[in-house]
Amino acid sequence: MAIGWPQGAMDLVLQLLFTGLGIGAVYALVALGFVLIFRATNVVNFAQGEFSMVAAYLMVVFAVDLQWPYGWSFLAALAGMALLGAIFNLGVYYPLRNRTFLPVIIATIGASIFLANTVLALYGPQPQVLPGWFETPGIQIGPVYLDSQYLLIMGVTLVLVAFNFWLFEHTLLGKKLQATSQDKEMAALLGIPVATMIMLTFVYSALLGGVAGILVAPILFVSIQMGSTIALKAFAATIIGGFGDVKGAIIGGLALGVIETFGAAYISVPYKDGFAFLVLVAFLIFRPQGIFGERVAEKA
Amino acid sequence: MSISRRRFSAALSASLALPTLIGRASAQGATIKIGMCAPVTGPAAESGRYAQIGAKLAVDAVNKAGGVLGKQVEIIVEDDQTTNPGVVLAFSKLASQTDIVAFLGSIRSTQVHAMSPDVLKVGKPVMIGGTDPALTHMGNQWLFRFRPNDSYSGKVIADYGVNTLGKKKWAIVHSTDAFGTAGGKALTEALSKINGASIALDQGYANQSQDFTPVVLAIKQSGADILGSYFTFENDLGVFARQLRQLGVTIPYVGSPSIVNITALKLAGPALYGTFGVADYAEDSSPGSKAFGKIYREVAKVAPDNQSSWPYDAITILCMAINKAGKTDPAAIREAILAVKKHPGAEGEYNFDANGDGLHGYNIVKNENGTIVFDKHIESAS
Repeated sequence: MAIGWPQGAMDLVLQLLFTGLGIGAVYALVALGFVLIFRATNVVNFAQGEFSMVAAYLMVVFAVDLQWPYGWSFLAALAGMALLGAIFNLGVYYPLRNRTFLPVIIATIGASIFLANTVLALYGPQPQVLPGWFETPGIQIGPVYLDSQYLLIMGVTLVLVAFNFWLFEHTLLGKKLQATSQDKEMAALLGIPVATMIMLTFVYSALLGGVAGILVAPILFVSIQMGSTIALKAFAATIIGGFGDVKGAIIGGLALGVIETFGAAYISVPYKDGFAFLVLVAFLIFRPQGIFGERVAEKA
Repeated sequence: MSISRRRFSAALSASLALPTLIGRASAQGATIKIGMCAPVTGPAAESGRYAQIGAKLAVDAVNKAGGVLGKQVEIIVEDDQTTNPGVVLAFSKLASQTDIVAFLGSIRSTQVHAMSPDVLKVGKPVMIGGTDPALTHMGNQWLFRFRPNDSYSGKVIADYGVNTLGKKKWAIVHSTDAFGTAGGKALTEALSKINGASIALDQGYANQSQDFTPVVLAIKQSGADILGSYFTFENDLGVFARQLRQLGVTIPYVGSPSIVNITALKLAGPALYGTFGVADYAEDSSPGSKAFGKIYREVAKVAPDNQSSWPYDAITILCMAINKAGKTDPAAIREAILAVKKHPGAEGEYNFDANGDGLHGYNIVKNENGTIVFDKHIESAS
């Protein structure tokens, strides 16, 4: 059953829009990790969602089990993620870097299963609770309730998008990373340490995925499958935005969050996940390059 | 070295026959054996441990009181890996031991469905804890249930909401999997039989939803004055409960058993304070439940729950029935189990019906600031 349009319709729309953008921002953060690795290596990293999950568990270990201050726990969890990104690069991508994309993709799927089961073995199947960053759960503005954690997620997403833009467009490191992603051989000829650049990309993607996981954990709880559910949507967002395009990932993620929230409210709740993938299929048929994608057929 | 075909086939048939012969020999052994399929590994390994402790406590009590047919009772546990293929494999492994007289199946309905065809073939009594009503209504005479089935939880939720809380305009929220759909339907049916009760909203949702804002807003708009729910996963329930409170829905809330389990309490925290739930095991519901809770706490060091209480009752009643039958013949055990009436178990009072359902009521419990408090027991009329 869907909601009708009578009195208070505007309040409803605002409330739904807020939640949609909040959940969309999470998709966008994870999608960003997808895009960066894809651009650097031409490979989709299917363990991106597990990065979020591992980070959330690290946060539980530091902030809940060890009772460290939240900020320090956050930094420690991010340090752990940087390490994981580096190990992932060395263990999963690097040995297969000269093969076609297929073995690498299979390896990332294997790694995602490995990560999920390692956490399961270490921490058990029970979902865990991670408290939010703020004491106040949220604020009521007129008819609309703003969850403080969603506000934080949107804020962090904005900051990270800005940082991303600055890094890639205004720093030498960013230019090197871009050059590597566009043409590895050319970049190597120019003296750019390609292997290091790819290593940095994996570390950065693990950090982005980790931030997404830590931010969303207080809302969705910390569970083994939290990563895969988010990653699937983020993957769809990446395709909608245009695979390989950073602003496409952001817009695609936000759009997906809003579309599924409104679809659930006004059409059908049980088919909520269906809307995301309906949009995905429509894009694959009518605009396979996505919103911002260029019509190129070389990569792969 | 060459082996003649005749010698080879003689050796083969001897090695095939040997386990059976050995099995025969030990059938005259010193113990009565009961097989138990339990999750030793997999996602439910933790609750599988509770189940084994529950069963072990019952066996110890039975053996202390003289055992069964003058022999000591022994449980043989086989890991079901918390999966359907796992439970089928575990059961067939146990069933190949011909000296096992009866079995404990699973608490998960889907697993019981998976093993049911083999149970029919083996033709020996299997005690189960799965609550899908169909399990005892699909022509398998060897399944005996030691928890109330879901048709009763719907009736009890409706009864409590309408007759005790005095609320008639219902919003029902349920997952769209087998469990949630059956539960939602049971509650809808129960309400349709109560005069004056109406359903303002019947809302399904897909498991692992990250957001329940649309559902909560629909409840708000429906004008319902009471909420009933069937949630499959605790994390969904946690997200839902929190958004319910954030968006200002404060109507009374009676939920299916997941609303009072330990994980849900931990995840949702204050968002579930003041809600009601149906529970098949409630420590303060009867002297039998209290007694079980006491001995269980001593051994397991955690609070007792239905994972451990039903195997305890299953072993106790099974042993009682075998003693009464005076033999381990499956048909005789079946008759003796079905004849059990007014037996005070840990879960409640057992009165077996012809379908093999032992319990027909639920306890209503309240979440009082995070503590589960027993409110009342409602026995269903049918």
